[in-house]
Amino acid sequence: MDSIWHIIVTSAPQIAVAGLKYTIPIAIISFIIGLILAVFTALVKLSPRHGWFSILKAIAYFYVWLFRSTPLLVQLFIVYFGLPYLKVKGLWPNGIQLDPWTAGIATFSLNTGAYCAETIRAAILSIPQGQWEAAYSIGMTKSQVLWRIILPQAARVSLPPLSNSFISLVKDTSLAASITIIEMFEVSQQIAAENYQPLVMYSLVAAFYAILCTILSWLQGYLEKRTSRYLRPLN
Amino acid sequence: MIKFEHVNKTFGDHQALSDINTTFKAHETTVIVGPSGSGKSTLLRSLNLLERPENGLYHFNDQTIDFAKPITGKTMLNIRRKTGMVFQGYNLFPHLSVVKNVMEGPVQVLKQKPAAAKQTALDLLDKVGLADKADAYPGQLSGGQQQRVAIARSLAMNPEYILLDEPTSALDPELEAGVLRVLLALAQEDNSMIIVTHNMEFARAVADKILFVEDGKILFDGTPNEFFKQPTQRISDFLAAMTFTTISDKAK
Repeated sequence: MDSIWHIIVTSAPQIAVAGLKYTIPIAIISFIIGLILAVFTALVKLSPRHGWFSILKAIAYFYVWLFRSTPLLVQLFIVYFGLPYLKVKGLWPNGIQLDPWTAGIATFSLNTGAYCAETIRAAILSIPQGQWEAAYSIGMTKSQVLWRIILPQAARVSLPPLSNSFISLVKDTSLAASITIIEMFEVSQQIAAENYQPLVMYSLVAAFYAILCTILSWLQGYLEKRTSRYLRPLN
Repeated sequence: MIKFEHVNKTFGDHQALSDINTTFKAHETTVIVGPSGSGKSTLLRSLNLLERPENGLYHFNDQTIDFAKPITGKTMLNIRRKTGMVFQGYNLFPHLSVVKNVMEGPVQVLKQKPAAAKQTALDLLDKVGLADKADAYPGQLSGGQQQRVAIARSLAMNPEYILLDEPTSALDPELEAGVLRVLLALAQEDNSMIIVTHNMEFARAVADKILFVEDGKILFDGTPNEFFKQPTQRISDFLAAMTFTTISDKAK
């Protein structure tokens, strides 16, 4: 038993450092970019089909379809290992070579953005038509209605499903190990290869993911409470 | 003055408004009555451009809109700023406090300074008897209180006309009375109001003019005095159907 404790005590700091340097930043940056993409995609998908909007709409539909229909691991491989072979004369004569960090964040952002786009679209649709009408009737423009009336309410509705996506993303960052990013899972693999203690090492890294996700669940609860203040009766 | 000329609106095969010609004078209260599905709400919503009739002319003071032609965003915003709307379901913004609901239009649309808009909003809330609820959220108010906030919200835009779409239909009689008192006071101040309602007693008390609408057509356009003298069999039947006395008379 003493040796197991020794393994945990010596390797936990290395996993924690990998978490702080890679797992957490990748998850947070990717989720922020993904959310921005998602809001834009949701709005494009909801916009009326006319003029150049039909082209944007087609792109939005294709994007969501593509990233929801293929595995995340395969997407990572295509972006990191595949794109260097996409050689286009004049444009990319040497293919698109991304460092692991960029490839990882790009893929995670695009992937989570596709899922969150559907969440946000549904949340916008869940706000009653009367809210649009009331805002229009006092002379607000469409973008004022959207940003001041609809999206703040949609944000509350979409909080639980968006939290789901974020928690999934935190765990999915373990796939970045496959494109040479030394995040938490990769570190635990490397240590396991040295000390031949895969059960201990993988359980340990699992615990790290569980702790991160538990904190996020608490954060979700707190945000839900905060954003629902207006729904609670007086006293 | 608002004037509709030959206005038509269809929903699919259904003719919601059929050759509507009428005038809504300033500083008068017009009450629109008629059976459910007759087109009264569509008529009211067309005045705020929440509905877009297919053709006909809409005169608002010196401005004329031809419904058959595209309406620019600017024209639309201009008309909406001049016509305040109060809905059956209140449609307050639930994420904003009561006072912010009232300030939203003046600050965002009329670009008033927040401090000034807040003072106006508090005065209006006082006027509808809700000064003490300024910091509450709409969900914390009764239906009648919410509707009075909605009235204050439309007044805050200082509209030339206030349009009310069955403002008390979702309220029980006690709460309804509170809202009707506010509306009666507004009518007595010579505001220009257009009200869709099923409450005949209120219509009689408040109206300078009554429109009776059925199947998208205006069947009566005149004073409440004439209307309640039941000039046609149809109006007679309509009024009888709305009151309990004839039912109990028949039962005898």
